[in-house]
Amino acid sequence: MRLILAFLFASVLICRADEAVSGRWQGSVQIPERELNVVVDLAQNKSGMWIGSIILIGLDVKGAALGDIVSKDSELSFTLKHALGAARVGPAQFKGHLDANGTLKGDFLQSGNTAPFILKKTGPSQVEFPPRSTAIAKELEGEWKGNYELFGYPRHVTIKLTNHEAEGARAEFVVVGKKTNNLPVDFVTQGGDFLTIDSHETGISYEGRFVTGEIKGTFTQGPIEVPLVLRRSK
Amino acid sequence: MNISRITILLWSLWAAALCPAQSMFRGDATHSGVYAGTAPRQFHRIKWTFPTGDRIVSSPVWNKNVLYFGGDDGNVYAVDAETGRQIWKHATGGPVCATPAVGDGTVYIGSYDGKFYALNAQTGAVKWKFSTGGERRFEAKGLHGLQPKTQTIADPFDVFLSSPVVAQGAVYFGSGDGNLYSLDSASGELRWKFKAGDVIHCSPALADGVLFFGSWDSYFYAVDAATGKEKWRFHGGEDPVIHNQVGFQSSPAVVDGVVYIGCRDSNLYALDATTGKEKWRFNNELSWVITSPAVVQGKVFFATSDSSLYHVLDAATGKPVLRQQGKAYMFSSPAVVNGVVFIGVLNGTLEARDVTTGELLWDYQTETSKQNKGWVLTGDRKFNDPLLNYSSWREAPLVANDRQFGIGAIFSSPLIQNGVVYFGSTDGFLYALE
Repeated sequence: MRLILAFLFASVLICRADEAVSGRWQGSVQIPERELNVVVDLAQNKSGMWIGSIILIGLDVKGAALGDIVSKDSELSFTLKHALGAARVGPAQFKGHLDANGTLKGDFLQSGNTAPFILKKTGPSQVEFPPRSTAIAKELEGEWKGNYELFGYPRHVTIKLTNHEAEGARAEFVVVGKKTNNLPVDFVTQGGDFLTIDSHETGISYEGRFVTGEIKGTFTQGPIEVPLVLRRSK
Repeated sequence: MNISRITILLWSLWAAALCPAQSMFRGDATHSGVYAGTAPRQFHRIKWTFPTGDRIVSSPVWNKNVLYFGGDDGNVYAVDAETGRQIWKHATGGPVCATPAVGDGTVYIGSYDGKFYALNAQTGAVKWKFSTGGERRFEAKGLHGLQPKTQTIADPFDVFLSSPVVAQGAVYFGSGDGNLYSLDSASGELRWKFKAGDVIHCSPALADGVLFFGSWDSYFYAVDAATGKEKWRFHGGEDPVIHNQVGFQSSPAVVDGVVYIGCRDSNLYALDATTGKEKWRFNNELSWVITSPAVVQGKVFFATSDSSLYHVLDAATGKPVLRQQGKAYMFSSPAVVNGVVFIGVLNGTLEARDVTTGELLWDYQTETSKQNKGWVLTGDRKFNDPLLNYSSWREAPLVANDRQFGIGAIFSSPLIQNGVVYFGSTDGFLYALE
């Protein structure tokens, strides 16, 4: 009986700790000579996993996904999945603890630097989710090919589009120049006859309109934009 | 019922008759800047704030209880007007310093990436995209007296992009490439484009089938909306030496056959909409008129930059009706609602003034402005010029501008809907006050 009560008591404490962490947190990172205003949203999904997103005002980061979220006792840590990371030293990270006043304090680590942060809870969580791929029209499914020229070199593009029910559409995006590049596509969507394929990791995207059996569009890589017409593979 | 109540009631009826829409810059295609409904004569509380990833200079518009606006973080946002919760965001390739227009379930807006977007108002999905010749700021050698005078300098005060107007199957907007574009609003196909001599960043006004807009080439134009053919042009002032007193950055208001337009040559002009003939001008002694005038009940409401003056003029004659001294530059355009004028100030304050007396009813200072980091502001909220503008050489003026603008400045023109005041700030937040 004592064991059951102890277990129940521990469960209640864990739930309270989780409740304390879940929510919208606002505050700042005190980088020397510069204050970084931060909004962090944390919540647990249906299976109890922590999810979160972050807004870094002034750094064009709005709703970037958090990863490696660990909440244990009053300690909390998480990383920024795709923002402010550096290949050499890994992702930016927040490591802190929740004090008795409900303030989250700790260190922000980025590119080998460390700065203190303070966050206070301001309301319920508003975790932002990355845009999800949507299904595409049947006539867009299949393999498409096209060519473009960049800096005097020809590039050959193959895009294979498939629908996957609840997950929406997927794309295999291959660019062959001096070498073969398989681009990791994380977003495919169609609005009317307008198709968008994004590889956020590489900063490459393709957008085009499906007109009379062709997709007439633009291949974009950062500031570089080149026209690219895709036709069905024969 | 006392006189003031009768006045407020008359204002309400007048405004309601004039302005059914809030779904584009300055409320509707004529840009009168007058809105229907109630307005808070006292500040009660912050209803909500919505954080974004960067500064906001865009103005929110309202359609079916959803607010739409652009962010300098490159996103176009749809936010629930009641809760302040994000409905969707759509990423563009550059800062979105324009105000969207909403019509037929579509959000229209341009971005610094040089693209013009038509987005599904419910989902944010792209309906079509149109490539302009590319965005850029107004630029000139030795601009504003900055040094070295042989260096071409982009104007940091050219903060807005052109906000579109949608009407009768077409969408109209200006561009940094010097063109005024007319696109088919359903397909994005080019109907026509009109080439001016320099950047067009004002929002065109549309009245009786004619588009009215100005350019940094010192001309103000009237163009047939159906064909793109020029009907007339009006020449504003020029400044061939430091290019400070030239260009139409303000957006026009067209009321009762008269076009009211502010100019960087320090004048507010009233032009005959049919002929382009000048009816009167009001000179502001070297102070720019960037705000877009609001016009209602025979009065013109506007404010100035350097002199920081809030003016009300007689619309028929241009004679001053009243004048109030503000504290800092005003680029935000006044919104007139139910006897109250709302305007944003670059010192990070939103002001509410009585329409009749011009007296300050209340103001709201953003937290960033209150903190006044680096003493950008003086103790009485004016710009701290000795600490800001200590040099006109190289990057010093740009750093000064960046610090000024970063104080929570309100470039955004307030939108008032159901008694709530909505506006953006350079502190990155969209505010809802009641």
